[in-house]
Amino acid sequence: MLSRRSLFQINLSPKDTGSPDHNTMQSTQQPLVEKIQSRQNENPDNHERVTTDRDIGALSLAAPVFTLALAACGGEQAGGSPTPPPPPPAAAVVKKPGSDAEAVRFVTRAQFSVSSADMTRLKDVGYISWLDSEITKPVSELAVAAYQRLGGEDFANKDYFGTNFHTQVMWQQFLDSNDQLRKRVAFALSEFFVVSANGVDAVWHGLGLCHYWDLLNKYAFGSFRELLEEVTLNPVMGQFLSLNDSRKEDAKTGRRPDENYAREVMQLFTIGLVQLNNDGTVKKDASGNPIPTYSNEDVTNVARAISGWAWQGTAAERLTQEPWLAPGYMKRQMTSDPTKMQYTYANRPSEHSALEAVFLGVTIPANTDAVAAMKTVLDTLFNHANTPAFFSKQMIQRLVTSNPSPEYVDRISKVFANNGQGVRGDLGAVFKAILMDDEALATSGLTSQTFGKVREPFVRLVQWAKTFNLKKPVSGKYDLFDTSQQSNSLGQMVFRSPSVFNFFRPGYVPAGTAIASNKLVAPEFQIVNEISTIGYANFLHNIVTTKTNADREPDYSAEMQIANDSTALVNRIDLLLSGGQLSQATKDRIKQAVDSITLPATNDTDARFNRVAAAVMLTMVSPQYLIQK
Amino acid sequence: MHISKMDELNRRAFLTRSAQMGAMGAAAPFALNMSCISDAAAFTGGGPYQALVCLFLLGGNDHDDTLIPYDDTNYNLYSAIRGGGAGQTAGGIARAKADLAATVLNPLSPQTLTNNMQYALHPAMTRMKTRWDEGRMATLLNVGPLIRPTNLAEYRSQDKVRNPLPFGLFSHNDQQSVWQSSAPEGATSGWGGRLADIAMSSNTNSIFTAISAAGNSVFLTGQSAIAYQVSGSGAIKLRSGNTRVAGSTVAYDMMRQIMTQPDPSAHIFEGEYNRVTKRSIDSEGVYSTAITGAPLNTNFAQGTATSGIAAQLRIVARSIAARQALGVNRQVFFVTMGGYDHHDDLIPGHNTLLGQLDFAMDAFYQATLEMGIADKVTLFTGSDFGRTLSSNGDGSDHGWGSHHFVLGGGVKGGRHYGIAPEISTTGQGQVGQGRLLPTTSVDQYGATLSNWLGASTGEMSTLFPNIGNFSGTNLGFFN
Repeated sequence: MLSRRSLFQINLSPKDTGSPDHNTMQSTQQPLVEKIQSRQNENPDNHERVTTDRDIGALSLAAPVFTLALAACGGEQAGGSPTPPPPPPAAAVVKKPGSDAEAVRFVTRAQFSVSSADMTRLKDVGYISWLDSEITKPVSELAVAAYQRLGGEDFANKDYFGTNFHTQVMWQQFLDSNDQLRKRVAFALSEFFVVSANGVDAVWHGLGLCHYWDLLNKYAFGSFRELLEEVTLNPVMGQFLSLNDSRKEDAKTGRRPDENYAREVMQLFTIGLVQLNNDGTVKKDASGNPIPTYSNEDVTNVARAISGWAWQGTAAERLTQEPWLAPGYMKRQMTSDPTKMQYTYANRPSEHSALEAVFLGVTIPANTDAVAAMKTVLDTLFNHANTPAFFSKQMIQRLVTSNPSPEYVDRISKVFANNGQGVRGDLGAVFKAILMDDEALATSGLTSQTFGKVREPFVRLVQWAKTFNLKKPVSGKYDLFDTSQQSNSLGQMVFRSPSVFNFFRPGYVPAGTAIASNKLVAPEFQIVNEISTIGYANFLHNIVTTKTNADREPDYSAEMQIANDSTALVNRIDLLLSGGQLSQATKDRIKQAVDSITLPATNDTDARFNRVAAAVMLTMVSPQYLIQK
Repeated sequence: MHISKMDELNRRAFLTRSAQMGAMGAAAPFALNMSCISDAAAFTGGGPYQALVCLFLLGGNDHDDTLIPYDDTNYNLYSAIRGGGAGQTAGGIARAKADLAATVLNPLSPQTLTNNMQYALHPAMTRMKTRWDEGRMATLLNVGPLIRPTNLAEYRSQDKVRNPLPFGLFSHNDQQSVWQSSAPEGATSGWGGRLADIAMSSNTNSIFTAISAAGNSVFLTGQSAIAYQVSGSGAIKLRSGNTRVAGSTVAYDMMRQIMTQPDPSAHIFEGEYNRVTKRSIDSEGVYSTAITGAPLNTNFAQGTATSGIAAQLRIVARSIAARQALGVNRQVFFVTMGGYDHHDDLIPGHNTLLGQLDFAMDAFYQATLEMGIADKVTLFTGSDFGRTLSSNGDGSDHGWGSHHFVLGGGVKGGRHYGIAPEISTTGQGQVGQGRLLPTTSVDQYGATLSNWLGASTGEMSTLFPNIGNFSGTNLGFFN
């Protein structure tokens, strides 16, 4: 455990110019998103015509001029080679699922759970329209608002050192929201731009994590570049990867800027360690070795360029001199203006290095101010040739399959580089393309021995809760908690990973398995072991078979109505949870389990509940469910 | 009771061995006891029980705040670089010299280090100071991953064919992997696991050869050996022993079948998931019974609290106590302790962590004394990397070489091994900001440990592919 930093040791000056609080989010649409939407509206085709994934590929080849212009601010060129004119648009074909199972397969990637209404609507309007309507759904209640509503900011509740309210807010974010696509994507983003309560112990960090979550939701279909900047300047991230209060060099003491964020923003959030082809495969040098993307000198220079940022406070907050009375700073971007810092004092100097910084072939001249230097760093990383494939492949892994083909990655990288309107980093376009790709939708994936991924434990629980409409908790708080322990719960929880490397790595290979000998990766297998598999089953049994818990009660009523017909019940649960992917052998075993619970002639409610609970339990520990294809 | 049919485990072990012998694996019976297999790659002779315990400090331990220069010359250099106060007082990320007096490490026999260096342990490590004085704890100076011996010019050389470097230097995940496996993230076997491959034939229940109390890691996975995972409280029993699901015993039986019997034509991931679950369920009873039957009195709680690392080392100690019932004669264990990435809060953070580490390591050593096999069990530390000697204000950044501990009754302790680095951010022994260029490789460190456990010289190149590039493969820190 880290100590509580030096929060209370700094002498605060009441002098301040003040800074408005961060606004709530619904009102602030992203300029870039507006631009994209208005362009789409200008295009008469776009409204009526259904875009197929083939079209997305074609569109990404268009408008290279835009890409060039955006890439010009630094870094390597991406996708700028001359391209032939796009082929004439194919005849509009509305892609629709052919069956309920296909609908479930699609929806349970795009969001956590599926309802009968989802299936009906998807079969009716098709994938694209369904996605578009989900994307335009407004953000449900902000996490920071929920935090306040529950009393997290009330001084008497003393959450400034803790995360109890944060944890409850996060469960409510997942369980009570109706913008599931956004939440699912935001969860995937939380595993890329990782921040964790483990390693953050600033006062009010639970609230700060709520605000961070709101940002991921806000930009889920917005601009990668803007999200990258929000992540970088976020106060919780500032604490987690110690960019907060990273100070310039001091020749007298030998001190130099902190390298933590400089390294991880490159290694994990943008370009990765080695040069990639656009299809995500690793470039090799003449002797067959990977080519590093950056050197340690680059890290040192980036650290210099992004020095001088710290938490931002207002004059009023500073007057309190007691951070636990002033949670506002956790909802604000960090600042490089010494007069606006949370811990400022008379004549506090800028801590931004005035030295020249040279990295990745870019030079930031001496005496560049902190804001301009930060912009150059982020633009350079955003426009780097690696970024599209580095990000896109991991998002495919999070939503669809652990081992996408290079062609699949290439198609999505191109959308990242250019959404078809000349815009780079349009996350809405990227996520749509991932979910709509032929490789994702092809039925061949259902019979392949390698396609798909381990369904993440956290996603499984949210899926269960939403599929069976977990009742609103009577006390106002769900009887759910931090589920990151492997031995007695899920081994996973949003914002609780052990480090910035998430619960699992995109390149994880479970050694000594057929997965390894087939040269495959299986990221989620990093948390599959003798402890976690049984810990999950035990936890799950406690959750899904408990009938009476006022704060965590499933609504199995629809399934209980068919519980007398074990075959129908098993098929229903199979469809809802796994998209009909259970094997016949598994279904036969579940049927035997259900049939073993006899229904009395009268008063059979408990028995019906148990039949449903048994079917749910056995489905959710079955390998065909656990591996999402 | 013994588990004699660890089907898939033994089958894969057999296939590996068969390949070594040039035999046809497919013709062999499915379940083969390890002892029937050729001992071409096995430890020779039974001998008494022995175990290695790897304690990995996650995040990159700040070695300069672990072994701290104490002689005036070197202390003053250290203090100047780390922002210490006037008159050898604390400041920046330097400690006051007076705070180090109680943990000065005086070698038990005369030893002259670089620039007449004298080290003190971090002030919270008083118990390790005692074990040093008893000759049970040794330090290994400036060890880190290397492909071949490398000097500064070679490090800087553009000719990486002639002067290869470990992949992903300064990167957490990659250096953890390189330390544990000699290959970056995505590696498919670690040297602890490769060692377990060889050790398996010494054990009746090969499944318990390699045990991790710290989740999945590449360290303990070999070609045949698999890391058996335990929690701080041991194995986890399905339904905690209750044999009903939703009130039905049939449902419980069906659940077990679903969890453990994969469809033969199944998806590769499905098959592997089931194999892990089956292994867990099959082994749990034997393991839990064995542990329960071998009580241990050593106290691992510091006051009322048991730290994570103490809980892990306690379950390792209990596993060792149960060695007879577990049917093992050679074992390799893996435990981890997180939180060492001290880009900030180094001084208070390290006080807490190293205090817990000191207590937990000592409790573990005491447990081996209680069992009467202190000289048969060796604990050693590893970490992602060392850190910069220079300061970023309240912490340090990613480095390379680092100092480590070896603890056990078989250790020739009270002595430093390896070469002490000079205290400098500009010298030839560092690659910038005092990031140490290792002078001893992890391969040499691991080879010495492996040799002690029973691996022969001929097996070293299997365990450590680059060991042939180094002249000394036994660092001499065992009696």
